[in-house]
Amino acid sequence: MRFSEILNLVRLNLIQNKFKVLLTSIGVIVGAATIVCVIAIGRGGKADVAEQFRNLNAGALDISYEQSKEKSGFSFGGSVPSSKSGDTAMPMSDRPDFSGGDFPSIGGGSIPDFSSSRSSNSSSGDRSSRSGGSGFFSEFGGGFSGLFGGSSDKKNTENITLSTDDMDDIYSSVPGLSESTITYTTKQDIYGGNIEETESYTVAGTLSDYADLSNLSMMFGDYLSDADNENKSKVCVLGYNASKNIFGSAEEAYDNIVYIDDRPYSVTGVLAEQGTVESGISADEAIFIPYATGIKYLTGSDISPTITVIAEDVNNIETVTENVKTVLAASYPNAEFTISDAGSKMEAANKSNKTLTLMLIAMASIVFIIGGIGIMNVLFVSVKERTQEIGILKAIGGSRKDILLEFMMEACCISLIGGIIGVLISFMISPVLSGLNIRMEMSATGALIALCFSLVTGTVFGFYPAWKASKLVPVEALSSE
Amino acid sequence: MGTEQIISMKNVCKSYKMGTERLSVLKNIDFSVDKGEFTAILGPSGSGKSTLMNIIGCMDTLDNGTYALNGIPIHQTKEKELTSIRNHEIGFIFQNYHLIPTYTVMQNIIMPLLMRGHDRKSAETDCREIIDMLGLSERIQHKPSELSGGQRQRVAIARALCSKPSLLLADEPTGALDQSSGTEVLRLFTKLHEMGNTIVMITHDMNVAKWAQRTVRIVDGEMFEDKTN
Ligand SMILES: Nc1ncnc2c1ncn2[C@@H]1O[C@H](COP(=O)(O)OP(=O)(O)OP(=O)(O)O)[C@@H](O)[C@H]1O
Ligand SMILES: [Mg+2]
Repeated sequence: MRFSEILNLVRLNLIQNKFKVLLTSIGVIVGAATIVCVIAIGRGGKADVAEQFRNLNAGALDISYEQSKEKSGFSFGGSVPSSKSGDTAMPMSDRPDFSGGDFPSIGGGSIPDFSSSRSSNSSSGDRSSRSGGSGFFSEFGGGFSGLFGGSSDKKNTENITLSTDDMDDIYSSVPGLSESTITYTTKQDIYGGNIEETESYTVAGTLSDYADLSNLSMMFGDYLSDADNENKSKVCVLGYNASKNIFGSAEEAYDNIVYIDDRPYSVTGVLAEQGTVESGISADEAIFIPYATGIKYLTGSDISPTITVIAEDVNNIETVTENVKTVLAASYPNAEFTISDAGSKMEAANKSNKTLTLMLIAMASIVFIIGGIGIMNVLFVSVKERTQEIGILKAIGGSRKDILLEFMMEACCISLIGGIIGVLISFMISPVLSGLNIRMEMSATGALIALCFSLVTGTVFGFYPAWKASKLVPVEALSSE
Repeated sequence: MGTEQIISMKNVCKSYKMGTERLSVLKNIDFSVDKGEFTAILGPSGSGKSTLMNIIGCMDTLDNGTYALNGIPIHQTKEKELTSIRNHEIGFIFQNYHLIPTYTVMQNIIMPLLMRGHDRKSAETDCREIIDMLGLSERIQHKPSELSGGQRQRVAIARALCSKPSLLLADEPTGALDQSSGTEVLRLFTKLHEMGNTIVMITHDMNVAKWAQRTVRIVDGEMFEDKTN
């Protein structure tokens, strides 16, 4: 029998039993819709991660220093939070919270305490005093290690402020770096524009290359320039949301004046909207000023900057990390720096995302199996019901192959119809799920995979009943009532 | 001419297992049909008529003896080939029509041709003449359930005829019909016989058997009388 004629018979049978077909395929409908959604959620999650980390370069290393609160030597090297050896892989839980603290991205899992107490630390804020301090502390540290007998026990008791010199030092000494920058953040009182009372904003001191490094794009104006930094100009670039909050719109904000700590800063640029980010400075909410300007007018030396360097080759990240440590150890022998690389953060995020996707796929598979068993069940009943029909077909010369194919094709069509309905449904419910804040990236691939799954389900679970039907003995089938 | 044998059965036995006992349904049947004959097999209920017809129709196997259809040794043939033989050599007409309820009249009629690998168009063209002859042209798009018993039996006859078989096998073709539609079908059989078809008809009714050219009696699985009308 021609295949096209078999398909026609299948069509006739299915049309005759529309409602039954629909009921039979419910399992597959649900399965297909689930698969499409699962894939969409998986892709959504991936896109989310990519978006959240888009301000990070894969080869980026964030270097920062956290001073331990513990002043005495009661805790040994292994204890929290001072020791962080080999901290290249950063846990996902490390989401900097910019509402309270004022830190640039820091990779460490511990929460450093940078509360108001830091104002009591060294105040002159230039490099000579720092190096003096360093000398003092290294002596102190040496005594320490002598006392406790472990040179690797770095207590981070010193007050170290990373500086542009450290950045230059690392950049020139560590091979394989393409870029470097340094940033710090601070909370400052702001007014201007539509703000009646002062509001607290994250102000980030950055160099001119920060925008490029963090993949920030401008909506109006330009990012801060090197000249701004050298002249310690009172200029700023506003994050998109910050500009809207302060001035009502980005357009309005541009070329306007914002008061930071009572000093006027002219807005020379507004950033385009960046969206939420998992790591680093939340650019939409922040105000960016030249690095030196902030030190001069706002913070003094009372900052804990983050140096960011970019490794030319992402694969060299571990070597680069080690080299950075070596270079820093030369300047600060008793300090342990927090070095986090963006790549492993992304990896961790992607990994947890993958786990979720796998779980959902397992779920969808179970739905498909149940759907398949449903089809098999109905087909068995159908073979029973249509035994006489099979007998007639055999009597007039229908071969085993014809009958097997007809029933198989019926199963396949039922499951394919189910698959198509399922895919359509998934596209209908995806806006609802998106409304529930589940990010979904619908795709043709997902739909195709769902259809393939449906077909396979139909074929696998349709085979046995079809085979049974084809094996019926003609006389017996014919005489059955 | 006229002596070409369509059916040639020798010593055919068939029995069914009933628990521990064997129920012998056909006992040493010798039966032959020449080409162009219209034969009636007459016998009471339970005598083994249907069993015999299933064997003649290559739908059932025989325990003993030999059976040749058109010279093909059926008792040695495998199911796969039997399927093809059923399709090419035999046109079945059943007591309760055995039409497929989900198909239209046309679809039912052309099924044997489709199974042979013909396409729909040519199959429909090939059947046109037979459909006209049986007066079904108005009904081809109907479902069997929309037809009278007589019409349904004519559809079944059309299906049996369209494959141009060498043997028409009818098991109680009038059994479910009233007097007049039954007569109509039998008149049709006579006409088909005159056209040169070989027909074997099974019946328990003397009056129906009278329409045939030749009557064979079967009682308790034994064929014991063979007379020409
Ligand atoms: N599959 C079977 N298993 C067991 N016994 C069977 C089977 N088929 C038929 N028989 C028995 O064989 C005998 C002959 O049956 P068959 O159907 O050939 O009778 P019949 O002459 O066609 O009767 P009727 O006129 O009522 O149709 C009966 O006694 C029946 O019970
Ligand atoms: Mg019978």
